[in-house]
Amino acid sequence: MQYTRKDLGSYNLHLIQTDKFKTITMRIVFHSPIKKNEITKRNVLSEILLQSTSKYSSKRNMIIEAEELYAADIYNNTQRIGNYIMTSFILQVLHDQYTESGNLEKAIEFMGEILFHPDVKNGKFKEDKLSIVKKNCEVALSSMKEDPVDYSMVRLKEAYDLDNPISYRMLGYKEDLDKIDVSNLYQYYLKMIENDFVDIYVAGNFDPEELLLLVKKHFKFRKIKRKRVPFEVEHKRCRRRRLIAKERNHNSQSKLAVACPIGKLKIYDKNYPLVLGNIIFGGGVDSKLFKEVREKNSLCYTIYSAYSKLDNMMYISAGIDKANFDKTVKLVTNILEKLKKGKFTDKDVNIAKEYYQSSITSIEENPMSIIREYLTEEMTGLDSYQERAQIMSKVKRKDIIRTYKKIKMDTIFLLEGDQDEED
Amino acid sequence: MKKIRLQGLDKDLYQDTLSNGLSIYMLPYEEKNNYFISYATKYGSDVTNFILEGKENSVPLGVAHYLEHKMFEEPSGEDPFTFFSRSGSDGNASTSYDYTQYICVGNKCFPENLRYLLQFVNEPYFTDENVLKEKGIISEEIKMYNDLPDYKLEMKLRENVYHTSAKRYDIAGTISEIKRITKDDLYHCYHAFYTPNNMFVLITGKFDVEEAHRIIEEELGKKKSKPLPKILFVKEPKKVVKEEETIVGDVEIPKIGFAIKVPKKSISLTGLECDLYLNMLTTILFGSSSEFKERVRQDKILNDIYMEWEDDAEFKTFYLLASSTEPDRLLSEIQYELSHISIVKKTLERIKKVWIANEVKMIDHVDKMQNILFDDIIHYGDVVDNRIEVIRNMDVKTMTSLVKKIDMSEVSIVKMMQKKNKEIMDS
Repeated sequence: MQYTRKDLGSYNLHLIQTDKFKTITMRIVFHSPIKKNEITKRNVLSEILLQSTSKYSSKRNMIIEAEELYAADIYNNTQRIGNYIMTSFILQVLHDQYTESGNLEKAIEFMGEILFHPDVKNGKFKEDKLSIVKKNCEVALSSMKEDPVDYSMVRLKEAYDLDNPISYRMLGYKEDLDKIDVSNLYQYYLKMIENDFVDIYVAGNFDPEELLLLVKKHFKFRKIKRKRVPFEVEHKRCRRRRLIAKERNHNSQSKLAVACPIGKLKIYDKNYPLVLGNIIFGGGVDSKLFKEVREKNSLCYTIYSAYSKLDNMMYISAGIDKANFDKTVKLVTNILEKLKKGKFTDKDVNIAKEYYQSSITSIEENPMSIIREYLTEEMTGLDSYQERAQIMSKVKRKDIIRTYKKIKMDTIFLLEGDQDEED
Repeated sequence: MKKIRLQGLDKDLYQDTLSNGLSIYMLPYEEKNNYFISYATKYGSDVTNFILEGKENSVPLGVAHYLEHKMFEEPSGEDPFTFFSRSGSDGNASTSYDYTQYICVGNKCFPENLRYLLQFVNEPYFTDENVLKEKGIISEEIKMYNDLPDYKLEMKLRENVYHTSAKRYDIAGTISEIKRITKDDLYHCYHAFYTPNNMFVLITGKFDVEEAHRIIEEELGKKKSKPLPKILFVKEPKKVVKEEETIVGDVEIPKIGFAIKVPKKSISLTGLECDLYLNMLTTILFGSSSEFKERVRQDKILNDIYMEWEDDAEFKTFYLLASSTEPDRLLSEIQYELSHISIVKKTLERIKKVWIANEVKMIDHVDKMQNILFDDIIHYGDVVDNRIEVIRNMDVKTMTSLVKKIDMSEVSIVKMMQKKNKEIMDS
């Protein structure tokens, strides 16, 4: 596998050559500092670009075109990474060897059509297309409670600090949706195309010179941009006493969500001991949380912790019976305190290292995870995965103890189910 | 050991059957790092009544799934999760209506992990205490799924489609049923269904074929095969249980569940060909590039759609689940589509092209190939080595004749809406 990064002024092109796959995968990534009142617009925009283009008048026509390109997959997603909002457009297409000569170029041209030739007349998107997308967004917003785990995380973060970007709802907001019209959406499109930072990743078996030419031919980004805002989210001072927030719903299981902000630490501590510590604490089926809360005390079916470096936060999530709320919180608190006091063994550390190495080895298994890796390295300044494997192997138990002392349980949220039904 | 060429995919699969009836399937990849091992029994939650050694048995719902959970108990106290984690590997398991499988995924210590996986599934260790302990965990699992509106809708639809099939119940059973499960039930079902002639091992990814075969033979070769229990199914009537029902759910946007119970007798095709034609038919009718989809998109009456075909003893059942702000209009669009089927050659050819391309894409992914081969073994009794060829040979004539004969008269519909909306409708 060979990685080359080309700074083309208005965007970076990342070429990852590998002959391990029959597909070519391309991910075009736009990112800019996140603004709460622009999230909804960003979602609507990325959806409307996939409804029609100047050449393809309907979504059906676009899907048929993708099907004709031997089932080219085209999709998008928008997510928050730290202080930034990131929208990706992804194209995955079979290598010409398995289709026909010129298929890849046609697919890239089609992606170029989606991004640079939107269905716009007189500076306006089409009203009918906008109303389809708006309706979809509205439905997504009003259905958000249907996924109680996600919803409990959203409400946890809002209870923690409404001003912090971590609390922004990535589905958007109804009041912002109402303000979107065909003209201001087009203005926002121009803003994204011109001002967002852009990175293009391509993974697969291709000739780098040919690919560079194809990208230059079909993607016209012009403006040169410089980064200023840091990626990592900062926190206000921690609360003196834990905040406990509750909300009711009509479910039978309750969802526990906990936010644990992390105090000031060096980059090494964030990239290494904390990552390893999380594997031990709640990273999987061999973790302390799983063994103690589920296996020993039968309090739940799912429980895990997740560490987000860019959010400077560790999150805990579990599905429990509401009657066991106090018991579970007490148990989780004790498990965290035990880690801070070093009540875990070198064997635990070694097992966590094995897990970590195994996840590093898995990166090269599929093109999307390869791209995700290079993207993360680019955005967050993480060491390369080959270097990380080396450095992580040297992390000591005492490093984990030291960094875990900086973790504090701040906000506890319970989405309390009010159904007691047995069956 | 047989070498089977997966046609059109540049890949060889190795197959063998041990003298006790255990089947082995192996698909090695030189260029990958990960391996997936599955050790499975063709026994799932479908089975609640069976005759073993002349005696009729009836066990509570959810036993197969409960058994799967309890297989992870070890007399030493160190469970399989811990063993696998030593090499950074993951252990897992899953139960369906027609199988139970135990999995190990990793990229290190293949021989040790394979041997351990086979050993722990071969050595059940159930005690009254450890069986009791699981009730809290599985109750939370059942509650977790029941809280999901889509899941609740699907379960209600199953109840309204099937009279007697176990597919009308949750795979995990119900909270009151699992409370009845005892250590003896688990041992009884284990000894009845976890026999080599009812089981298979499937491995994909990076590993050595010879070594894997040797370990499987060492661990499982001496196990004795046994006559399989006779599974008792009560005959399922042709009619659905209930044609229409509206239920209350905690949903802002109404949902619909739509099922067609098709007697297999009305379909002239069988096996893979039958499944390919049925799936292609519903893809042409309701898939992402269908005219239906474009129409309901323009009308803004469809939000999500999910569909699948299910195989039961004498029926093929089609499920379509969707959410819509106007459920009745969406339902009439679906029914209109079903009563005006016409298959155009150009469309069929395009979808064939898509499916063939997807087959080629799939071979890059060890995990996906593991799932495809697994499903083949469960549904067709063996791996399919010529899927691309079968797809290539599909034609409009066969599809049209299928459409002519298929009996789609038994339909069941479930609507889910908020309490206040249901009250308005009822009044």
